[in-house]
Amino acid sequence: MAKPVNPENLPEMSAKGSIECQIGSFSLSTSWEIETGEVLVLFGPSGAGKSTILRSIAGLLRPLRGYIEVGGQVVYDSDNRICLPAHQRRVGYLTQTYHLFPHLKVAGNIAFGLSDQKSEATHNRVQELVRLLQLDGLEDRFPWELSGGQQQRVALARALAPYPTMLLLDEPFASLDSELRRNLHRELREMLIQNPVPVMLVTHDREEALALGDSVQVIDDGHVLTTGNPLKMLGQPGQGRVARMVGVENTFDLTITQRNPIDGTMTCSGQGLNLEVPLDSHTTGNNTPNGAHNRVTVGIRASDIIISKDDLIGSSARNRIEGHVISVEPRPPGYTVILNCGTGDVESLLHCHITGSALEELEIKRGQKLWAVFKASSCFLVDAYEQTTPI
Amino acid sequence: MALRVHEPLKKKDALPRLNSIIRFDSLPVGILGGSGAFLYVLFIGLPVLALLVRSAQHGDFLNAVTGDAALTALRLSLVTSIISMSIIILLGTPFAYSLARSNKLWARLVDNLVELPLVLPPVVAGVAMLMAFGRNGLVGSNLESLGIIIPFTTTAVVFAQIFVAAPFFIRSAKLGFQSVDKNYEDVAQTLGISPRRTFFRITLPLAAPAMFTGLGLAWARALSEFGATMMFAGNLTGETQTMPLAIMSAMETSLEGALALSVVLLAASILVLALLGLLTRRRWQNL
Repeated sequence: MAKPVNPENLPEMSAKGSIECQIGSFSLSTSWEIETGEVLVLFGPSGAGKSTILRSIAGLLRPLRGYIEVGGQVVYDSDNRICLPAHQRRVGYLTQTYHLFPHLKVAGNIAFGLSDQKSEATHNRVQELVRLLQLDGLEDRFPWELSGGQQQRVALARALAPYPTMLLLDEPFASLDSELRRNLHRELREMLIQNPVPVMLVTHDREEALALGDSVQVIDDGHVLTTGNPLKMLGQPGQGRVARMVGVENTFDLTITQRNPIDGTMTCSGQGLNLEVPLDSHTTGNNTPNGAHNRVTVGIRASDIIISKDDLIGSSARNRIEGHVISVEPRPPGYTVILNCGTGDVESLLHCHITGSALEELEIKRGQKLWAVFKASSCFLVDAYEQTTPI
Repeated sequence: MALRVHEPLKKKDALPRLNSIIRFDSLPVGILGGSGAFLYVLFIGLPVLALLVRSAQHGDFLNAVTGDAALTALRLSLVTSIISMSIIILLGTPFAYSLARSNKLWARLVDNLVELPLVLPPVVAGVAMLMAFGRNGLVGSNLESLGIIIPFTTTAVVFAQIFVAAPFFIRSAKLGFQSVDKNYEDVAQTLGISPRRTFFRITLPLAAPAMFTGLGLAWARALSEFGATMMFAGNLTGETQTMPLAIMSAMETSLEGALALSVVLLAASILVLALLGLLTRRRWQNL
């Protein structure tokens, strides 16, 4: 999103690489390419190997083989036996717990990576970052005298001070409360417009990945499952493993009963449901078009569902399902309403996210009859869980 | 403070019996602890007080302290201990760092060896050094043919002090280095600081309080060194007679002299303790 103002005047600041690592029995293999000013989010559970990738780029860990390029400079290349030490790579690295140097004040921490601690230029650079990250008046404080959010900003200022050619952020917002986190997301975005560098951000928070990522790479167990647009990858993930990882609230195993190529949709049934979903032509098919085994798994995000007291006849939404309320659970800032949309003895639970005021307006009670409404395009096909071949 | 959170749970039968086992504020423990503390203060304080009172009762305290023999011994003690400390810091710091950062087998073996002088009786240390560096010792005879004579010289005093005092510094410095989170060093290097400069700008300042503690203990131990010095360096006035040896010699002729020297050594020990407390105070931490 944050493109450099004048790309011609800037040196090549993209970052790319492809590495393989082996730590004990854990093996990792990945590749990446990030344009300057863009954020690549590494998304995945703990132990997936995300931090290992960052440490390899920073030069704190030597990969088994591969190459790493930062700011137009090859910093690691196993074929040509190149491996620059960390202090020659000019890569900013932010750890989860910041690791501010406890014996230095804020100004000393920010100036740490600059060549002459006492020079005018250093002083000016520190002041510049203090203003950029709103740390005015805190220069003479020790790290323990700062709040979590302030510590995080000092760590960011310290990493930015020596003009890094790439920024590595290892869950930098994980220990902050959600409001502060949103503020810092915005600040990081603004900072990237003024100092465009390629950024690699590790997180397992879906909201953060969506808020900051220009692209997202989903990693599990040392392998890249998928790379692409965050909304597409984390909103309607096409792979079972990814879907489970990002917590897709509703998945149903259904059978294709009818295809409507003109609408680009198909009708799927099962579990007491009839859903209209996008045509499966684009998915890797184990479903032969008119075959007998037309089984699919359909995912629907809880936030894509509209709840209505009456059937919305005359609306464009292709899916309107009647159900009754099983339970309402708080899910800050809103609520999750769980509807049973099955028919007869078959139970089909549908999770829907709504706001508190919607809950009050609709006067939702247990056992109440409601309609769940969503577009065909809100449904997406998920590979069967068994089909977890990495790409 | 954190324990106070659990207080509501302490009500009868709220928790199984385990709760009563970990309670340290029970009456018997309080009485035992209190009387133990009282006895300890008495046991340490009384002799120190007696020393001060007795030496004050003898009129010529100043004469005894500023006497030639006393000043010579004091100067020798200071000079030799400063040399010992310098050698211990220069060689012990990199050694302690490699012990702290290495997981190799040799490091663990050497680690145990470091503590040997702590449990070895100083007299035995003196005899052992005599067997090594003495005129008929393992390497002493070779050194002598090169014109180097160690036993019964000031050098021997320094040797003895290093032998007994070095473990205090190395142990403490090693713990200090171990307590420095490796991530600080990693972050410093990603900021463009070379490993060597990272050591001086991050690792050393963070480990410094522990190193000062070790230095204080080592210095106190070197100043009070007696057994090994006696065996290996002898008791030659002006050359090997340090304060503790001078006190022993003085006891044979005049009690006043011994008392005065003892007070001086006591003052030196207290000074070391005070300096230690001052230098280990971490101004960057909320203590």
